[in-house]
Amino acid sequence: MGELKVMKPLHVNPLKLSQPMGATLAFLGIKNCMPLMHGAQGCASFTKVVFTRHFNDPITIQTTAVNDITAVIDGGEKGISEAIANITQKVTPELVGLFTTGLTETKGDDIKGACALLKEKQKIVYVHTPDFEGGLESGWALSVQGIIEQLIEPSVECNKDKVLLIPNVNLSAIEVEKIKESLELFDFEVYALPDLSDSLDGHLGVKQGALSSGGISVEAIKKLGDTGHVITVGRSVKKCGELFKAKHTQSQHHHFDTLTGLVACDDFYKTLLTCKGWSKPPASIQRWRKRLQDTLLDTHFALGKAKVIIADEPDNAYAMAKALREVGAHVEAIIAQRSEVQELFTCNVSVGDFEEVEKILPKMDMLISNFHGERLAHTYHKALLLRGFPNYESVGVGLRHNILYEGSCTFLCEVNNRLHKN
Amino acid sequence: MINKKLIKDLLNESACSHNKDKKSSCDKPKPGATSGGCAFEGAQISLFPYADAAHLVHGPDTCLGASWETRATLTSYEGENNTPLGYCTNVTTQDIIFGGDKKLAEAIAYIVEHKKPKAVFVYETCVTAMIGDNIDFTCKEARKRFGIPIVPVHSPGFVGGKNLGSRLAGEAVLDALVGTREPKEIHPFGINLIGDYNVTGDMWQYTPILERIGIKVVATLSGDGRIEAVQTAHTAKLNVIVCAKSLITLCRKMQERYNIPYVSVSFYGKRDTSNAIRSIVNAFGDEAMSKRAEKIILEEEAKLEERLLPYREILKDKKAILNTGGNKSWSIASALQDIGIEVVATSIRKATEEDIAIAKTYVPILMKVPANEQAKLIDEHNIDILLAGGRSLYTALKKKVAFVDVNQEKKVSYGAYGGLENLAIDVCAALANPVFKLAGKVAPWEN
Repeated sequence: MGELKVMKPLHVNPLKLSQPMGATLAFLGIKNCMPLMHGAQGCASFTKVVFTRHFNDPITIQTTAVNDITAVIDGGEKGISEAIANITQKVTPELVGLFTTGLTETKGDDIKGACALLKEKQKIVYVHTPDFEGGLESGWALSVQGIIEQLIEPSVECNKDKVLLIPNVNLSAIEVEKIKESLELFDFEVYALPDLSDSLDGHLGVKQGALSSGGISVEAIKKLGDTGHVITVGRSVKKCGELFKAKHTQSQHHHFDTLTGLVACDDFYKTLLTCKGWSKPPASIQRWRKRLQDTLLDTHFALGKAKVIIADEPDNAYAMAKALREVGAHVEAIIAQRSEVQELFTCNVSVGDFEEVEKILPKMDMLISNFHGERLAHTYHKALLLRGFPNYESVGVGLRHNILYEGSCTFLCEVNNRLHKN
Repeated sequence: MINKKLIKDLLNESACSHNKDKKSSCDKPKPGATSGGCAFEGAQISLFPYADAAHLVHGPDTCLGASWETRATLTSYEGENNTPLGYCTNVTTQDIIFGGDKKLAEAIAYIVEHKKPKAVFVYETCVTAMIGDNIDFTCKEARKRFGIPIVPVHSPGFVGGKNLGSRLAGEAVLDALVGTREPKEIHPFGINLIGDYNVTGDMWQYTPILERIGIKVVATLSGDGRIEAVQTAHTAKLNVIVCAKSLITLCRKMQERYNIPYVSVSFYGKRDTSNAIRSIVNAFGDEAMSKRAEKIILEEEAKLEERLLPYREILKDKKAILNTGGNKSWSIASALQDIGIEVVATSIRKATEEDIAIAKTYVPILMKVPANEQAKLIDEHNIDILLAGGRSLYTALKKKVAFVDVNQEKKVSYGAYGGLENLAIDVCAALANPVFKLAGKVAPWEN
């Protein structure tokens, strides 16, 4: 439905997070990787603090620490090569994920050239992610595109049983794991890129490493060229799948805008059945579908009359809005950045900040947003469900599971129960 | 405009003792080997607690988007509290090409119109410094138009670290606000509190005590601060720096301009709190007040001891290692000693020369590379508890000792007499918790 464009010369209580932050998360989903932010030290420091508090786990990141002098006299090569030298003095990353910020894009650094000069010393993937464009989702997606372009080796083979899953940035560690498990039930060999499911899933490591603690290995990424099926989840990563397909023409690309709710999950499993030529999915999946059908009916009483405002990243807002619409909820959405997914919403949607949320909230019953919504929900005595980045108030954000038949049940029940409690 | 000369002067602060030999904490950051925040963050930390002013960040969304509503700096302001709010001009590609001045002017107008703040702080960031927006001019025009202070803060992230940003924020306040209003009356025992941001209400642990002694807080930079109050800060008789050396330049300049002397104090722990009160009182040299202060200190210490009794028994003979940065390397050590814990070692990895000198007087072993030293020291000295940042949790689990994360955003105040009880409660809880022995337990299928 139509976009309500907010025209203001500023953001009041911003919802948006930056492209470099999305890039950081993408590179943390690669094993033994060092995300290297090309900007002033604060850009990386803020990002580290936000994700450390969000995930309750240590976050690996370094910065090229551009200062007011190098900002003027250095085209990037000096700072980047010094950073690589200092990093490799202490650790041996299999990959450095180099991405820019507003500062270094304004001065127009040639990071491609800088990386070419360092080719012999360190494997680097570079991405342009100025923070005056896009947001968290696009930063993640651009990084994935950079990895596809710069790391995956061409292959003449095509393995029909091999799947590359490209999740959007909003999917939690457990959600990525659940999709992988589901695909494995269909006898696929599955790789997720990036893979936060064994990196930022809140596991206790033996010791705290100085590099990313898990994720897909660089070796595995290089060999993704023979992948038979690439699956993208979320509109923000659709282009990544298209890019992969364009480069590896024998593969098939299957895109899903969301995996929450009955219709979305039916589409997903129907596609898998077609790929495999199977008539029915494994029994556990059939069982969970029946549970979701029952949950739809159980929750429709309360949710059918509920008015919910969602403030989140576009893909996540869309997934939740679509699932809530299935049980008749009245939904309004404020999203953090512009996205193609806007056209798909069947409710009011606009790009905005928490000031816009506050204008709508009094008429609603419930707010779904990141932790910044807590103060608002409290002020207006509304039910609150914490979703999205950052969430400093809950523990276990990596364990959240709101997708596929199973997670859709959990999501609807939680919304229902929160609403009821208020 | 960024003032290069000012930055150079701030980095060479004559009142900093370490500047006699080296500039340890003020060096340029090293690419690929840097942690810690930027100058913008430092400025933000120093000024955001002014709840009656709007804080407008002129830059792309990142600087603010990742940092608003993160610090629990409490305020008693009854109007709309701006502390947990975020305003940002959200500079985009268009603005970078055509300049962001117009957008900034419109954003200021929007805030003044909709929020009616007592002042607006405008923070320059890296991008708007690079594109050369004339923030000073825009602020000056807005000030004329709206008749409230519109204060430019020139601390873009790339000029340095948090410490420098905090200094630059102090300069902005000194130049634009201090001395711009005369109070109705001048209190004979008026002080300014500099560098306490009232995180979790730390300041409120001791300001009532100061008031009972007869001292009036004229203005703060910036815990529970008010713009109108800081405009009259030049009428205070004493500046009190609370655990924040970054604002020493501000205090030196106020001494030069307004003849206000300053003292530096810490309100962590019983001894330091009592000493802080004495330092402030002594600066006035009023005998009646000194007597009153001693009486109140005696009362407060007795009250505290009574409340600490139940914890003393548990904490008796317990040994600790402290691994944290800056002035916390000694201030928390002192507080731990006050609740009866033996502090065997403390880290000086991120401490200044001055902090190291003070730490020496409190703790026998100073660790230069705590990551390598602390595990060994835990074994050698039979340590019961490790107080450190999250990175050391693994050491604690491996050595099966209790752990308190002292770098995490704290939820309760550890300040002054009242806060010491909170510290005792947290340490006792950690000591009693079986989780540190359990979480690292070897799986039954592994040896």
